[in-house]
Amino acid sequence: MESENNTIMRTKSYFITLRTIYRRELKGYLGVPFGWVILACTMALQGFILQAVLQIMTHATGNGVMYHMLDNLNFWFYFIFIFPLITMRTLAEEERQGTLEGLLTAPVTTTQIVLGKYFAAYTFYLLLWLPMLLYPLVSDIGNYYTEVRYGIQPEGSITYMLADWVGPYTILALSGAFFVALGILCSAMSRSQIIAAILSTCLMIMYYFIGRVTELWGEFPAAPIFHYLSCTEQVKAFASGVVDTRPFVLYLSLTVFTLALTKRVVDYRRWTR
Amino acid sequence: MVTAEHLNKTFGRFTAVKDATFSVDRGEIVGFLGPNGAGKTTTMKMLTGYLPPTAGTASIAGYDILDNPLEARRHLGYMPENVPLYDDMRVMEYLDYRARLKGICGKSVREQIAEVIDKCGLEPKRKNLIHTLSKGYRQRVGLADALLGNPDLLILDEPTNGLDPNQIRQIRELIRALAENHTVILSTHILSEVEMICNKVIIIDQGEIKAADTPENLTRGLRAAGRVSIEFKGDPERVVAELEAFAPVKKVILEEPIDGWNRLLVRAEPGTDTREKAAAIITELGFPMRHIYRHIPSLEDVFVEMTRRD
Repeated sequence: MESENNTIMRTKSYFITLRTIYRRELKGYLGVPFGWVILACTMALQGFILQAVLQIMTHATGNGVMYHMLDNLNFWFYFIFIFPLITMRTLAEEERQGTLEGLLTAPVTTTQIVLGKYFAAYTFYLLLWLPMLLYPLVSDIGNYYTEVRYGIQPEGSITYMLADWVGPYTILALSGAFFVALGILCSAMSRSQIIAAILSTCLMIMYYFIGRVTELWGEFPAAPIFHYLSCTEQVKAFASGVVDTRPFVLYLSLTVFTLALTKRVVDYRRWTR
Repeated sequence: MVTAEHLNKTFGRFTAVKDATFSVDRGEIVGFLGPNGAGKTTTMKMLTGYLPPTAGTASIAGYDILDNPLEARRHLGYMPENVPLYDDMRVMEYLDYRARLKGICGKSVREQIAEVIDKCGLEPKRKNLIHTLSKGYRQRVGLADALLGNPDLLILDEPTNGLDPNQIRQIRELIRALAENHTVILSTHILSEVEMICNKVIIIDQGEIKAADTPENLTRGLRAAGRVSIEFKGDPERVVAELEAFAPVKKVILEEPIDGWNRLLVRAEPGTDTREKAAAIITELGFPMRHIYRHIPSLEDVFVEMTRRD
């Protein structure tokens, strides 16, 4: 009975420590200009793309606004760069400042540090997509204003259709989970933020190109592997409302693997220092 | 409190610490001494569990640093060299974060922070951003951090490095006050500091522990211990001859005279006092004497003798 209580207490304190690190990291995004600049830039880019998407949508395509927002080369152009930006500081900066020493000599495990940082970065990443949820509302307000002010009934509107929104947000959340983990792994490998950012950008672009291999080479015996890994194809499928279970397995397992690797890298670097 | 057994650390081909074995008892203030690059910081980092030793192990408050690192760290407050801190946090915020990391929760967070802020004299700066603090205050924040959670053992790596004399004195007073309830291990290369506050000294050179003892014991057996210097007027040859005939005297060296006063340096067995005899000899000869002084061996002499390369 007592040992059971002990286990509960220990588990509880494990998560309290994890939460402490998570909160401090999240504050590192939202308590300083850093996070808000990224948020502003992302919103501006999303706005630019929305403008193009609205043009496309004047020809009735039958797809929702989110489909066009994501199945779009411009989307990948900024999407890939979000991850290096939000993750490059995480471990590289701790190491450069020397504060990693303080963290690792407190009664905290490496896993707690990696997970705390990961969940904070991931939460911030998810926040970046929240403003897009306002598009239908903004479009309704715009339409209402046009009607009142000019007496014209606008034809198009952006709607809150569950099918239009759930798929795209699911794939954003899934692929983001892995890409954030990848960025943190790169940050663990260097004490320089720049090197971490270059490394993770490079890996993201490589991963992106893997998905386009079949476009270049056509179909060949190994092609299904590339289809399976293709983030562009997954985004296309999810954005049009097809929620497939295979990417769940792919991204969740890749995330767990990458985070485990990150923990190893952090520990390994202590041995060589 | 602390036992280190055969600690070794190699970086590639370079051996930073070689077979370090020592122990520290509860309530001691231990000074790590050694030239730059001797392995002081490496040894301390191994004790904190930050650097894994290549071989050997250590335990803190009975907990092995390799088998039970979390328990060992719970009994430990560590202030690294150059005090790395989060520059973008406020002092209170930082201490709050550190307190929670150390597993302090609920009401006691505030109490503990108030206590360490009071002890370290941080009250006027508690709301400042850390990057605006002067070196002295940064050092205090580091110390306050180490004190959170009231650990049994404090490991302080060069706590007075880069401070001005007033700040050094304040930090020294603080460490001395802390010694009532804590065991302290500190490293420094300011010898006078160690003489003033430590009751045990560990001298490291080129990764090896050369000595571990109280400052008194270390200086006792020293070559420099019996030295006497004398200044007098008169025929030096006769004095030297008479002095050298006296048993504990090993050698008498005639030094360059100053303003017509001859100067002698008498080397004798450690622990002997030849002043009385020397004075008697000189007065018997009828020579005037203006100075006679027996060297009090300092840690500096110990340090030089043990770490000298020649």
